[in-house]
Amino acid sequence: MALEAEVETLRAVPIFRGLDPRRLKLIAFTSQRLSFRSGDVMFRQGDDSDCAYVVLVGAADVVIDTPAGPLVVSRIGSHSIVGEMGVITGAPRSATVVAQTEVTVLRLPKDHFLSLLEEFPQLSLAVMRDLAHRLEATNRLLAARAEPAKH
Amino acid sequence: MDRSLFRYVWQTSRREQMLILGVVLVSLPFYFISLDLPKYIVNDAIQGRSFSGGKTEAVFMPIAIHAPAWLGGFQLKIFDGIPLERIPYLFGLSGLFLILVLINGAFKYWINVRKGALGERLLQRLRYDLFSTLVRFTPESFRNVKPSEMATVINNEVEPIGGFVADAFIAPVFLGGQAITALVFIIVQSPSLGAIAAIIVVGQALLIPRLRREQLRLGKERQMAARALAGQIGEVVEGISAIHSHGTAPYELARVDRRLNQLFTIRFKLYNRKFMVKFINNLMAQLTPFIFYSLGGYLALTGRLDIGQLVAVIAAYRELPPPVKELIDWDQQRLDVQVKYDQVIEQFANSPQIAPPGPAPAAPAFGVSGLEVSQVKVADSRGHVLLDNLSLSLPLPAHVALTADGGDGPDILARIMGRQLLAFSGKVRVDGEDVTTLPADFVGRTIAYVGPESVIFQGTIRDNIAYGLHLRTPEAGLAASDTDWLDYEVAAASGPEDLDKRIIETLRIVGLDETVYRFGLSGLVKKKRFPGLAERVVEARHAVVKALEASGSSQLIEPFDPSRYNRNATVSENLLFGIPIGQTLAGDGFIDHPFVRGTLAKSGLTADLEDMGAAIASTMLDIFADLPSDHFLFQQFSFIRSEDLPDFAAIMTKRGRGDVLAEGDKARLIGLTLGYAEPRHRLGLIDDERERRLVEARHLIRSTIPADLARAIEFYDPDTFCKAAPLRDNLLFGRITYGVAGAEARVLSVVRDVIAQLGLDDDVYRLGLDFHAGAGGRSLTPAQRAAVSLARVLVKRPSILVINDALVQFGDAERKAIFERIVEATAGRTLLFVLRGKDDAAVFDHVVAFAGPRLRGVTDQRHSTGSAPLAASA
Repeated sequence: MALEAEVETLRAVPIFRGLDPRRLKLIAFTSQRLSFRSGDVMFRQGDDSDCAYVVLVGAADVVIDTPAGPLVVSRIGSHSIVGEMGVITGAPRSATVVAQTEVTVLRLPKDHFLSLLEEFPQLSLAVMRDLAHRLEATNRLLAARAEPAKH
Repeated sequence: MDRSLFRYVWQTSRREQMLILGVVLVSLPFYFISLDLPKYIVNDAIQGRSFSGGKTEAVFMPIAIHAPAWLGGFQLKIFDGIPLERIPYLFGLSGLFLILVLINGAFKYWINVRKGALGERLLQRLRYDLFSTLVRFTPESFRNVKPSEMATVINNEVEPIGGFVADAFIAPVFLGGQAITALVFIIVQSPSLGAIAAIIVVGQALLIPRLRREQLRLGKERQMAARALAGQIGEVVEGISAIHSHGTAPYELARVDRRLNQLFTIRFKLYNRKFMVKFINNLMAQLTPFIFYSLGGYLALTGRLDIGQLVAVIAAYRELPPPVKELIDWDQQRLDVQVKYDQVIEQFANSPQIAPPGPAPAAPAFGVSGLEVSQVKVADSRGHVLLDNLSLSLPLPAHVALTADGGDGPDILARIMGRQLLAFSGKVRVDGEDVTTLPADFVGRTIAYVGPESVIFQGTIRDNIAYGLHLRTPEAGLAASDTDWLDYEVAAASGPEDLDKRIIETLRIVGLDETVYRFGLSGLVKKKRFPGLAERVVEARHAVVKALEASGSSQLIEPFDPSRYNRNATVSENLLFGIPIGQTLAGDGFIDHPFVRGTLAKSGLTADLEDMGAAIASTMLDIFADLPSDHFLFQQFSFIRSEDLPDFAAIMTKRGRGDVLAEGDKARLIGLTLGYAEPRHRLGLIDDERERRLVEARHLIRSTIPADLARAIEFYDPDTFCKAAPLRDNLLFGRITYGVAGAEARVLSVVRDVIAQLGLDDDVYRLGLDFHAGAGGRSLTPAQRAAVSLARVLVKRPSILVINDALVQFGDAERKAIFERIVEATAGRTLLFVLRGKDDAAVFDHVVAFAGPRLRGVTDQRHSTGSAPLAASA
């Protein structure tokens, strides 16, 4: 069953890890399965944050616009979630995500995602943990960049 | 309209009233005879006076005219009569009586019918007069008018007036005539009895209205008290949060209690009064017969009155109270209606009316020489000055920006120019003509104003945009249709088709073209209105498939193929393979229909569908069982409503035990499969074998459907236009593949290209213009409503266009684009534009700047070399 396979994939996504299989099934069933072609823009910096994507298969680049032109800041692959930050904060997309291969995702509309967070504290905690990790990583990166500048 | 109701009624319906009054007068002698006849029946036939002295025959119905003595006292015999025996004589007289009853009834019937018609006619006239007064109100007087109140006045409050006006003259004559006839009859028979009857009737007529007047006053008081109570309850409901937070519920209760008490007191007084009146009325009605029986009997016994006369007097007296009572009612109604009429008239007559129009300028073009504003002053109702002594002159045509650093100057001047504001002192002239006295239809052709509030009428978008073109009075009068009023010339169009072209051009200016195009795609094509389009759409349908193939994206759409299962469509769509018409096969009714059930059983699908339903049910139970029942995911995604979950749990338990399910349970499981589509729900329930069988069932349904049921569905056919489906579905003729990002946008862009290539663009727009705006434009967004309002003034190509903050509903980028297109579209004509901010001032010929209520300066930018402000006269 395709739905069962999706549930398995979701289980491998860090923030969904501790969730009850029934919940995973609910998430899978209520989200839309979408496929992007290689090169498709999944969302664009500055767009409304109307959904989050869980990448089932494929890889995509996260690109931000800089004065010097587009800059690839990271690459995301299978089992990762993307776009959830804007959904939580309500801010527009902070980066552009471009499919690098054929990408299959589950699309979690904003309302669903927020209600899931409200309903399941485990999930909120996992999202917080994930965001904290990312913040930490960014801080480290900034520190590392600042180091050479001193010399 | 006349201030006196009676004068108004007489003026508007004199001829009809006189005709009815004439008939009323003619009817009275017959009435008199019908009163007189019983006397002869009793005296001559029953008591046998005509047969006294051994006569066996009497002459029946001799008709002769006796001239009074002063005319010579001659006798003119018209009919000698028929000699009859006693029994036939009785029957003859009784028959005559019956005929008179019928004649009187016929008179009454005719009079009532004519009266009713007259009342309705007058009501129609009254409403029309009120409405025509209403539309001539000045813009200022509308500020104090509540729309619902005006509608109530014109619709409801005049209703009783209409009921009364028919009776205004006729009732007193008719009823009074009857009463007097009866009274005269009684007096003729016996002056003494007549005198008694007259005294009682006159007493009744004087006393009862007096008592009733008090009743009327109390009734009014009761109405006011009830209105106040309703007002207070409404206030409490609206302010309930404040009442809760202040804890003032007991206070409010006491206040309402006081009102209820007051209401009770009034009502109690009213009852006392009402039953007292009834009591007196009854007493008097009963007292008279007592006098008649005793006194009349005494007179009869003493031989001063014969029995026939007595019977006739008593019968006549029985006829007396109803007309008197109705007359009293009439008088009461008169008072009541007069008050209502006064109120209505006051409301309407006190509002200032637009001044009678002057003659239209004879010049072929308007707004060509100049605008002259002199000494214009405007103050609001509290005397606060909004525009102070404005004088300026500008050459026309020109593009003029009205700007201000605060203050209402631009708004006021724009409204004066748009004839939205007439209460000002000073003069505003265009080409030397005073704008306030220009005739309305001339203004309709030459000046257009659009303000910040969009006005949307009930009708299609086309109706709304073309609204301002209804300027031609058709000869057909009442028989004319709305389109007969259209003056195509105003829009520089040659006819309906051409007008649509003008409207579509206008849509582009106001940025509504995309929206209308979308509406067009979702519209139903009526063959009568769009001849030939259906065939072209089928052609386009094939072209869309080719174009998608050519661009390598044919996988984006799965066409409806009668011989293949459409995976992106639901199970029921695949079975039905068409659009249901009416309710018979729509929605869930489809699977419940015996024919459909029978066909599914025949093609061996029942067990399959039941299994699928069970799989869906178990998944739903698994996912949704412990979700709160009002959770939105439930409503959006569950195949089973929360209240039905326990039922399905029970069904599944039974099934799990291997029990045989009841037919109803099976049907419920099958019902779950209707909305299932594999790519969307991904439960892995439909394999090739099931697809094959579903397609078989589809064929079976189509080939064996009974003729009467066939009317409830329009089957899909790749080479035929589907009337019941919107244009878009007819063009795609398939389902957009589920789960491919951006598929819909890509397919629609191909569809658009194909439409454009086939030259069908205008048809799609025209179909979109048929979209209904809804009551008050509720089917449109605020921006769309604003765009429609703008299109309405632009399509008229007015000599002077006034735009007063009409672009506020648009986003910044769109506002700028629309603004630029408007400026371009009005080149060579006059545009007065209230400008916020100074960004766009450069494109105008002149900038009129205000500071507060005063003019700060006029800048001529046409030869803009260091534009120095002109000297402003202040």
